[in-house]
Amino acid sequence: MAPKGSSKRKAPNDGSTTHTPTLAEQLSFLHSPRPFKNPDYTKNVNRRTKNLKTVLSQERERERLERERKRQEKEELEQTMDVDGEVRQREAEVEDIPTYSSIEAPPSLLPQRHYCDITGLEAPYTDPRTGLRYHDKSVYELIKGLSASAAKDYLAARGVNPIVR
Amino acid sequence: MSDSNIFHVPSQTLPSVSPADSYDAFRAQDTPLIIDNGASHLRFGFSTAPAPHSSPNLIAKYKERKFNQPLLLFGDAIDAESGAKGQAKSPWEGDVLLNFDALEHALDCAFIQLGIDAPAVDHPVLMTERLSSPLHSRALTSELMFEQYSVPSLTYCVDSLMSFYQNNRSNPFTADGLVVSFNTASTSVVPVLGGKGVLSHAKRIPWGAQQSTEYLLKRIQLKYPNFPTRVTSSQTSWMLHNFCEIAPDYPSVLRALKDPLKLRAAERIIQFPFALPVVEEKTEEELARIAEKRKEQGKKLQEMAAKNRMEKLLQKETDLQYLVNLKEGRGENKREWTNTLQSEGFDDDAALDETIKKLELDLKRARKKEVEGDDAMNVEEPSFPLIDVPDADLDDDSLKEKKKQKLLKAGFDARLRARREKEKEKEEKDAEERREEEDRERNFDEWAARLRREQEAIMNRIKDRGRRRAALSDRKSAAAQARMKNIASLAADDRVSKKKRKAGGEDMFGADDEDWAIYRKINTAAASSDEEEEYNQLQAIESKLLTYDPTFTAQHTHASITSQRSALITAFRPQYEEGDVEGNTRIHLNTERWRVCETYFSPTMAGVDSAGLGEVLQSVLARFSDAEKGRLVKNVFITGAPSHFPGLPTRLYSTLRPILPPEMPLGAIARAADPALDAWRGMAAFANTGGLPDVGVTRAEYEEWGGERVKRWWGGNWNLAEG
Repeated sequence: MAPKGSSKRKAPNDGSTTHTPTLAEQLSFLHSPRPFKNPDYTKNVNRRTKNLKTVLSQERERERLERERKRQEKEELEQTMDVDGEVRQREAEVEDIPTYSSIEAPPSLLPQRHYCDITGLEAPYTDPRTGLRYHDKSVYELIKGLSASAAKDYLAARGVNPIVR
Repeated sequence: MSDSNIFHVPSQTLPSVSPADSYDAFRAQDTPLIIDNGASHLRFGFSTAPAPHSSPNLIAKYKERKFNQPLLLFGDAIDAESGAKGQAKSPWEGDVLLNFDALEHALDCAFIQLGIDAPAVDHPVLMTERLSSPLHSRALTSELMFEQYSVPSLTYCVDSLMSFYQNNRSNPFTADGLVVSFNTASTSVVPVLGGKGVLSHAKRIPWGAQQSTEYLLKRIQLKYPNFPTRVTSSQTSWMLHNFCEIAPDYPSVLRALKDPLKLRAAERIIQFPFALPVVEEKTEEELARIAEKRKEQGKKLQEMAAKNRMEKLLQKETDLQYLVNLKEGRGENKREWTNTLQSEGFDDDAALDETIKKLELDLKRARKKEVEGDDAMNVEEPSFPLIDVPDADLDDDSLKEKKKQKLLKAGFDARLRARREKEKEKEEKDAEERREEEDRERNFDEWAARLRREQEAIMNRIKDRGRRRAALSDRKSAAAQARMKNIASLAADDRVSKKKRKAGGEDMFGADDEDWAIYRKINTAAASSDEEEEYNQLQAIESKLLTYDPTFTAQHTHASITSQRSALITAFRPQYEEGDVEGNTRIHLNTERWRVCETYFSPTMAGVDSAGLGEVLQSVLARFSDAEKGRLVKNVFITGAPSHFPGLPTRLYSTLRPILPPEMPLGAIARAADPALDAWRGMAAFANTGGLPDVGVTRAEYEEWGGERVKRWWGGNWNLAEG
């Protein structure tokens, strides 16, 4: 047990008498005492930080299983009992449980406006060679002078990734 | 360009060492500990404190190079060490809490800052989580809090609802409203009815401040591909905060900006730090000294060369003397004489005579040069006596001589002819120039008009050539196909008619000189000699026009016409001179200011396939009945740190107004009083009302149910693992 009233300051490194601690060292928390941590807690060292994809797919799996389970329960209930109101209410609950993926916004349904890839103004025209949208013919001159990689970068900023032929 | 438009990028300020809080006030009290775990900032403090500690939610474990010390830096402190920024990790990945090592370190640092020195964190904790965050995140957080820090109870809440609570305080909490929350990696719309968040109808758009910053950075990089310094994301987010606004009506803003003048007026110039190149200007003395040195070196070389020549001359003179003596000392004995000659290296008499003559000539020339300086010698017409003598009369030696003389004469004649032709050409050119001058002086307008027509004709030809080249590169154009036809017909066998082939005739291509002209058509590498010729002609004409015609200015020349950039492009991205270092480290933001914020309303502009804010609001409201809709829209509330973009309330109002029935009253869009900190304040307020024990998960409950289960309450998430 760390004694109460031990130094709360961020202490410079022990044994660093040979040099004055730099600002970074003074700010470092590495050697500060942490009495509030439970020393008996052994983290599951093998636990790796899962990445986003695995976490989300795990969630989806669980949600799906839950849904299956609840649906089966409901069916059983329908067969055994005839309490319509209660069943329907539970059904409503099941459908409405929000999960991380269910509250995600749907894809857009509105027709897209075309904006010039170079200047950002309105773009009524599209260049057939590169697929870039442009505002007027002076911008078109600029596009003609772009290299293939620059044109691809502009398209990537819009989210269009052309397949390399 | 007004100077007030120029803004300088803020320089890095070093963080300061701040002492930890004193824990005495809170020891052995059960004051709730409020932690607003945000993706960009971690705000923490005790609920009775007036304001939380706020620090960027980043951890860097870095081994310092200079003294080889390992460091653990948190939040702002990372700026103290430049190498640590690359190692900074955040517990969040977008909107999901994933990196629990980082979270553990962050919480450690937070608790140390609060000065907690008890063996356990003995306060009920109220923490935020994202809207419907994945259960995995919650499970690990609970594990961390309960096992590592031994908290007595833990409650989760949604930050946007807490901010709403803070601004619509009532006890019990029964406000209605529509909460639009802008977070780091997402934007969410949450309807609140009767004090309860209707999370099933909430929606989240995967576009937040982080994505906007990246988009702005990408646009800047595309606009300035050769920018001298690197633009970091922190600088970009500074730009985003200070210069970007939401247009009340994007298409009309764009239409206004079409005009280059308005574009110029609307721009903001960001000046990046630059370093002027140090020009080593040698002072005048130094320059003079260097010139002196060079002159001396030149003189020395000249002297050396002269000395060499003198030496060679002397050598030649002695040789000549020797040979002449030899010749005079030639005795009657022929054999002795031939022996002597051979020992000297001469084949026969004639060779000896030749060498003597050559030496004499050289000496004469050299002496003449020395005496008169570099005078061009008159070429005497050398005599060729033997040419006219017929072959039969000469003997072997003389024949050889004659051949030699013929060759020499032919060369001499050719040189003479060439010289005469050159003179003739010069005369012709002079005559032409004189004629043109007369023309010009007599009838200036006609002359100028003629020249201008010629210039236009040449420019057209150059343009045609360029167009033809472009057409050839496109596989499907008519020019390319014609070329292919030509190649095919050349390669085909049936160019030679059948009769000729039967008679054993061969391919007659090339007999006629003009056949080769077809290769010029096929060759795609543009005929560069033709181009050069045309350019030279163009230059000549233009220079004449420039000097004599007052109305023909530099703007009419071909060079300036081709390099003309439209006014729009120059307004959009002004060009600076090559040497203008200050100008070249400037970024002009004009259309980007509105474009980047417009992505909130239409993320497809940036390639994210999701509905924009307007659409989402519409779809969320559509799921409610009219009566409920009325209650919701009376109180539309914006919160979250990125919500301070100017123009946001007006835009939301104009988005909402058309989709609601006209008689429904739409309240003015309210903004959180303090967008960044209100969530924390709401949480603190709620904790102070003592509502925590009802909704928190205690230690015992955690151990029984595990980390994923929470109690369902108005401010928290509600998902599958609810108890």
